Amino acid sequence: MVKIDKILLSIFQRTFKSITDEMSISLTKTTRSPILCEAKDFVTGLYDAKGNMLEQTENLPILSFSLGPVCRVILDQYGEDISPGDVIIHNDVFSMGNQNNDVAIFKPIFHEDTLIGWAAAKGHQADIGGAVQGGYNPNATEVWQEAIRIPAVKLYEKGKLREDVWNLIFANIRLTMVQEDIKAQIGACTLGERRLQTLVEKYSIETFEAHKQELFSATEKMMCSEIAEIPNGVYHGESMVFYDGKHKGSEFTVRATVTVKDEAITFDFSKSSEQTKGFVNGTYTSTCSAITLSFLQMVNPNIPHNEGMIKPLTYIVPEGIILNASYPAATTFGNHLCPQVADSIAIALSEAIPDKVTAGWNHLLCSLFTGNHPKTNEKYVDICFLGLKGGSGALKNSDGYDHIGMIDASGGILDQDYEMFEQQSPHMLLYHEYLQDSGGPGKWRGGLGVKTKIKLGGDDTTMVVFGDGDVKTPYGLFGGKTSVLNKISLTLPDGSEKIPMSKDMIEGIPSGTIYDQIAGGGGGYGIPIEREKDSILKDVKNEVVSKNQAKEVYGINIEDNT
Amino acid sequence: MMTKVKYKLGVDIGGTFTDFFLVSNTGESVMHKTLSTPEDSSIGFITGLKELAEKCSLSDDEFIQSIDTIVHGTTVATNTLLTLQGAKTALITTKGLRDALEMRRGIREEQYNNHYQNVTPLVPRSLRFTLDERIDSDGNVVTSINVDELELLVEKINTENVESIAICFMNSYLNNTHEKQVAIYLRKHLENVFITASCEVLPSIRFYERVSTTVVNAYIGVDVDSYIASLQEKLKKLNFKGGFSIMQSNGGVVSPEVVRKIPAVTVLSGPAAAPIAGAYYAKMLGYDNCITMDMGGTSFDASMVVDGQCITSTDGDINRYRIALPSLDIITIGAGGGSIGWVDSGGLLQMGPKSAGSLPGPVCYNRDGKEPACTDADLILGYLDPNFFAGGKYTLNKDKALDQLNKTLATPLNLTDIETAAGMYRVINMNMAQGVRQVSVERGYDPREFLMIVAGGAGPIHAGEICRELEIPMFVVPNAAPIFCATGMLLGDLKHDYVRSYIKRFSQIDKKTFLALYDDMIQESMDTLSSEGIEKENTQLVPTLDLRYVGQYHEVPLQVDMDNVSSFDLDVIKNAFHKEHNRQFGYSLKEEGTELEIINVHLRAIGITEKPNSFAKMDDAEPVKNPDFALKSKRIAYIPELDDVQEISVFDGDLLTGKYSIEGPAIIEQINTTIFLGKTYDCDTGVGGSFIVYNRDHYPNGFDINQKKLGK
Repeated sequence: MVKIDKILLSIFQRTFKSITDEMSISLTKTTRSPILCEAKDFVTGLYDAKGNMLEQTENLPILSFSLGPVCRVILDQYGEDISPGDVIIHNDVFSMGNQNNDVAIFKPIFHEDTLIGWAAAKGHQADIGGAVQGGYNPNATEVWQEAIRIPAVKLYEKGKLREDVWNLIFANIRLTMVQEDIKAQIGACTLGERRLQTLVEKYSIETFEAHKQELFSATEKMMCSEIAEIPNGVYHGESMVFYDGKHKGSEFTVRATVTVKDEAITFDFSKSSEQTKGFVNGTYTSTCSAITLSFLQMVNPNIPHNEGMIKPLTYIVPEGIILNASYPAATTFGNHLCPQVADSIAIALSEAIPDKVTAGWNHLLCSLFTGNHPKTNEKYVDICFLGLKGGSGALKNSDGYDHIGMIDASGGILDQDYEMFEQQSPHMLLYHEYLQDSGGPGKWRGGLGVKTKIKLGGDDTTMVVFGDGDVKTPYGLFGGKTSVLNKISLTLPDGSEKIPMSKDMIEGIPSGTIYDQIAGGGGGYGIPIEREKDSILKDVKNEVVSKNQAKEVYGINIEDNT
Repeated sequence: MMTKVKYKLGVDIGGTFTDFFLVSNTGESVMHKTLSTPEDSSIGFITGLKELAEKCSLSDDEFIQSIDTIVHGTTVATNTLLTLQGAKTALITTKGLRDALEMRRGIREEQYNNHYQNVTPLVPRSLRFTLDERIDSDGNVVTSINVDELELLVEKINTENVESIAICFMNSYLNNTHEKQVAIYLRKHLENVFITASCEVLPSIRFYERVSTTVVNAYIGVDVDSYIASLQEKLKKLNFKGGFSIMQSNGGVVSPEVVRKIPAVTVLSGPAAAPIAGAYYAKMLGYDNCITMDMGGTSFDASMVVDGQCITSTDGDINRYRIALPSLDIITIGAGGGSIGWVDSGGLLQMGPKSAGSLPGPVCYNRDGKEPACTDADLILGYLDPNFFAGGKYTLNKDKALDQLNKTLATPLNLTDIETAAGMYRVINMNMAQGVRQVSVERGYDPREFLMIVAGGAGPIHAGEICRELEIPMFVVPNAAPIFCATGMLLGDLKHDYVRSYIKRFSQIDKKTFLALYDDMIQESMDTLSSEGIEKENTQLVPTLDLRYVGQYHEVPLQVDMDNVSSFDLDVIKNAFHKEHNRQFGYSLKEEGTELEIINVHLRAIGITEKPNSFAKMDDAEPVKNPDFALKSKRIAYIPELDDVQEISVFDGDLLTGKYSIEGPAIIEQINTTIFLGKTYDCDTGVGGSFIVYNRDHYPNGFDINQKKLGK
């Protein structure tokens, strides 16, 4: 028996974290697609030989649960047939992939002849085949219209590239850049492999195994003590999804049943609506990621991200529902069901842990412009981050965060720089400011939303819209009020107005069209009239709350107080 | 005939102490420390001057007269930003874009923490005013400034009693006429208000970085200006007639006049001197690459020197306030002597980032500190002598430290006191090593190829273990380690940075426009340098281009030769970029023929200053002597390689001024520095007055200074 060195536990935990961080730095530096190197839509992780998570660095919270299930699929599939120098690739959403574009690389790590773990990296690729470049195909009804499926397959076998496999995969993907980005992911995994090997050489395999187990237990203990603070019970919450991209007026419900029993918590979504016929469908792993990130925001943010963290959590997301569509459904929109998953969990737990849940966050509504840039006469693609970032919900003792954007990223994806935006697209930014009165009123105010106005340049612009939040506003909690709806509208040069659906594509937009977007704020928490007077006065002075709202909602007549 | 002794003086004002480093033209040097006076740091400055005069046995007047240069590192700008005590500042910006400063592009650094708040903007929304004006993305005026609107705005600002104003308009990097027009108008109509336009501070693309940097400049401007004015006044009163310059964040020095115009160049004024000094010591030993580490009370700073040059970056921030001016690339992590040890809810020992600071300080300081800190562990492990802290100025209370450590850590961890203290030592060393690893990897370097230069009081106790973790084979503790930054002040050249944005694909670069941008910057820099008394032959021009492949989002700075710029040799530049891109990112797009795009052109103008004759003499020929005469005592200390304690020798480092060799494990004590040699380390002294500590596994035949090679 190896004697446990308690200090070595701290050292191992830090080293694992440093390894996945370093893998992440390597990916940021070596990938080419802006989705990877700029938006950092990727995750790096280290797993043990049985597929237990040692540590991971998810740059966006929506990837918090996206590697572990794939690791287990690979272990089941290959059994003993794993050798040093193997590299396995995977994206298939029907064998634990989370989104078609998210392609994972797994590399086994050996100490002498023994498999000791896995290094993994998963990133959102700029293209993954299918009918539409980039993968967002609002017309898709089956997976093949969205992507090439890659079930787990060896790209390298014992260090040798399988060119036939490589060519088969990349013959189905439009951009050659994707090959380079996959190579970068392999590079990051090699780095993780080397560093874990060094660690095990330094301390011996027995010490590694014993301390790893002990570390899982320590982390599990942290998570259990957080769960133990939640009163036992069965809690319910629900949230609506509007419009599947096919049937006007269609509505779906995401229903959470959260059961807390001592040190265990179960998230059951069985009672949610059936899957849709369009691409508004989740996958098991994207839904589990959404559950994980929602719950992590309610507990101590310093809990290490290893197997011990997720062990006390049980996920029930049966096949056939909107959150886990059956083969061969289209699912690209799945990550964007995260807001509804988060809402339903927070609403469910709001009575049990009122001090830890937030009011509703703004749901994402997003535009993507493509067209010809007249200056270069080249095609440009612009995801309009400037317009889409609304506010977060307030919680006890804290106002919501202004202009943070979707909960899936929680402030991890940034606005474009205004001047770079005007250089790289033919558009002109006319307005981009906090929207007055958009923070849901409450004792603690919801985060502010943003109003954006852009003059579109270049002829023949195409606009793809996807998202939600244009039918129902976010919920307030304990007397807190709601915010405003998301809205996108176009005013064409002839003065006519066009309002797109929440999943839509509009082609042939002429130069000079004015694009208007409101990304709403977050919901408020607590009764508005209990808000500290100084905070209200400050908000009014800063013109983020109008005198009218101060009077009508917060009950303060400003003329008397200035 | 009496030759007149002339001095150069470096003064570094820190949180607790103000450090002085005095070098004479005959090569003698004096180190001095005095308590800082945070309420008005010029008081401590002057007190120290008088104490130094006494040390040199000169009257105040004689001493002041014999100083021909003072270089000063100031923390006024940094502290103003950290304590948010700056001027009441207003911002004037383009209509429709009032909130860029506060939005910070919508980032929340802690994604799982819903209580995490945005920073308080340096200018509240109520003081952010907009004007209906617009320049488009080609630099054309779309909407001109309406003077009536401007007049109304000034009336409004007048009622607010602002002390400082920042002006930043959209696309002003292409056309600054609107900013200039408004600045002139305000300077004419508002008295005693500090006015900064973005085109005067950072005329380059990226609106958020520019507005933030300009606002920082305005916010700290009034405080820095009045501090420097008061210091100059006090020096004048003392009849000081020598040169006076200020250390900048970019590692260069500059005249007080320039600082009073762009005070934001001093936000890292103090720490920037450390890598400059590090580069100097490394060079003296024959190395071009080094990592400088400085472990203080609350934080650990590390920076890299590559090919003899300190790495500069424009990615900096202080307290989450973005400052995009070029500054030395120094990373800071929350690990220092005051870092507190605690047990997390999973039962794991953690160190920091919370710090006991200097008040109450670690438990052993006897100032009511209850939470055991790194210094307490260092004391319990035998590295520090309770009766010789700061040369015996303070007595450390070991019993109290042990008592609190047992109560708060050892009992819950179920470990002995030594095991617990050793754990604290190991964990904090790991934190620092991981920090260093991360900076080097992020910048594309392997730490194993770097020499470690260790400054600061607590650093040399921890350096050995940090180096072992990083596989760095040796570290150097300079004789001036305790006042390291003050020495760096005397080594900086005058440095001025200029930038212009010029966004063009390589094939479309217009030779005339491109060269005109450089001519403009060269002219400006030469005027400034000549006003600082630099002769033309002592100037050096270093151009840098921000380049990227078309389609990329981030530009990569590439330093080029002035010759290549003047002769417009774009092919050389292109090839150099492919190479640098490959070094940093592991690939280039040369084969693919992807076009390059230029974003900004930079110029650094260097005015080479006269350096002190020598900091410490090198003597190779001298034979190695036996250090036993300097043996002070023996004491029990923790040996990390054995994970156990053992009795080891303690040497008086202040006696080891010649050439000696000391075998680890051992402790070398000086008044302000303690060096711990683990079992794997040996130490040579006498080379440049520094302690050279090397890993015996890497140098089995002993260390040879002429080997100039790191590793086996």
